[in-house]
Amino acid sequence: MLALKNVMTHYGSIRVLRNMNMTAGKGEITCLLGSNGAGKTTTIKTIIGLVKPSEGEVLFEGQRIDNLNTPQIVQKGIAIVPEGRRVFPKLSVEDNLLIGACMIDDKKRIEKNLLKSYELFPRLGERKTQVAGTLSGGEQQMLAMCRALMSEPKLLLMDEPSLGLAPILIKEIFDTIVRINKEDGTTILLIEQNAHKAIAIADRVYVLQKGEIVMESHGEDTLSKERIENAYLHKTVDKAV
Amino acid sequence: MDFSVVIQQLINALTLGSMYSLVAVGFTLFFGVIDLINFAHGEIYMLGAFVGLITVGFFAGTGMLASHFILVLFIVLIVAMVVSGLAGAIIERAIIRPMRGASDLMMLLLTLGVSIIIREGVMIFYPNGANPQAFPDLFPGGSVNLMGIVLKYEQMFVIGFALLMVLLLHVLVNKTKYGRYMLAISQDREAAMMMGIDINKIITFTFIVGSALGAAGGVMNGMYYNIIKFNMGFLIGIKGFSAAVVGGLGNIYGAIVGGFLLGFLEMFAAAFIPGGSQYQDVIGFAIVILFLVFKPSGIFNEKVYEKV
Repeated sequence: MLALKNVMTHYGSIRVLRNMNMTAGKGEITCLLGSNGAGKTTTIKTIIGLVKPSEGEVLFEGQRIDNLNTPQIVQKGIAIVPEGRRVFPKLSVEDNLLIGACMIDDKKRIEKNLLKSYELFPRLGERKTQVAGTLSGGEQQMLAMCRALMSEPKLLLMDEPSLGLAPILIKEIFDTIVRINKEDGTTILLIEQNAHKAIAIADRVYVLQKGEIVMESHGEDTLSKERIENAYLHKTVDKAV
Repeated sequence: MDFSVVIQQLINALTLGSMYSLVAVGFTLFFGVIDLINFAHGEIYMLGAFVGLITVGFFAGTGMLASHFILVLFIVLIVAMVVSGLAGAIIERAIIRPMRGASDLMMLLLTLGVSIIIREGVMIFYPNGANPQAFPDLFPGGSVNLMGIVLKYEQMFVIGFALLMVLLLHVLVNKTKYGRYMLAISQDREAAMMMGIDINKIITFTFIVGSALGAAGGVMNGMYYNIIKFNMGFLIGIKGFSAAVVGGLGNIYGAIVGGFLLGFLEMFAAAFIPGGSQYQDVIGFAIVILFLVFKPSGIFNEKVYEKV
């Protein structure tokens, strides 16, 4: 569904992504792991069109999207849960959700999607008139997820949804990711530092290091998943020491 | 002190404040969506007054000025707002957008340059533009006299129309999707882009709205004082900006309150301090300086700009 082919991305003269090749299969959960500064967020920004790749192609459903601007890319059916949630702090929960639906004109569909959000996270329904800035971190994460889902995306990009959340909330978020994937068939590209949890739900795993994919596994290849987990966690431990 | 004098000054202050508020709202809107302090905005006010004058001239021959003056008033205002709104859109599209991402100082100088071009352009190209132009008195003479308080028709119209504009703006910002997108862009432009909002369209739209409101203020200035001049935008630009700062730059309601506050301070300084009318502007700006020193976030506590 989504494919990056030999993508290179620069910030000025600094190369952030080098020869990036990855695929997110339709209906799958793809997970991109990597430590701070590996280029995970840049990958997402490249896909969504906030940064233009200097070389290579980004393909969505077989069509090149790297020459489109962000609204056009969103229109194609890609939505994002940005790093740090980025909810609109002074808008109400409901207004935040409505902004997620800015590509949809049909009022009934918007209404239906709103109800679905409140069903997914009843807590958002209880607080729909509350200003988003006053929500807790976990609630903001729920809001950011629902806001992205309001556009009925085919592909959902999630940038570190578990960052800074309590373990119980992380579990809720991951359960919801699986639910969205299984029930609606939404393809998901998940970026995480929380390798353990992410690998457990992923169909495909890529490990990004210094802007390059250094390991990958997909399907039921649990052995290589394990290897990734070991290697990745090992590396993290190494760094900490 | 006579109570009716206070009320009289209050009405005068409301009239002045109406004009300041309409200009201040533009400053705050532009700052909200693209962090721009647009010093060309005062010239849009002047442009609005001149377009209004030309439109009045068009009606002058028809005799409608006398028979349908209310209709003419609205037509004059709407034409001025549409033309100036388009001028604002052109400035944004052709001059400001290509420079987006440049440093704040560059943008400031850019808008100052644009303001000089518009101001001097009107001076050169408007017939006899260097001299003050008489703006015909559109209102039938007379006023309402309420217990010794004189309420001129002009004043009632200026205050009423300004309140109508404020109300419309409130509805636009809070009840429509365009308003929602404007608020989203002002809170987090990149996130708004990521949601698929076409931010360029909304930014242009914001310039149309802000410029149209400023132009309405300019026409009112002409209607009220019956005289306009090519350089009238300079001082009002600074005052509108000051009002927006006092209210809290980026906050629409702050700009409106700031505009009226500035109007009140100036009017009362002129009325009640001996020789105060000569220092009217000084007092207005002194207040602004005090705000900048002690409460730069303004009355409505808009956050001093921070970027994550």
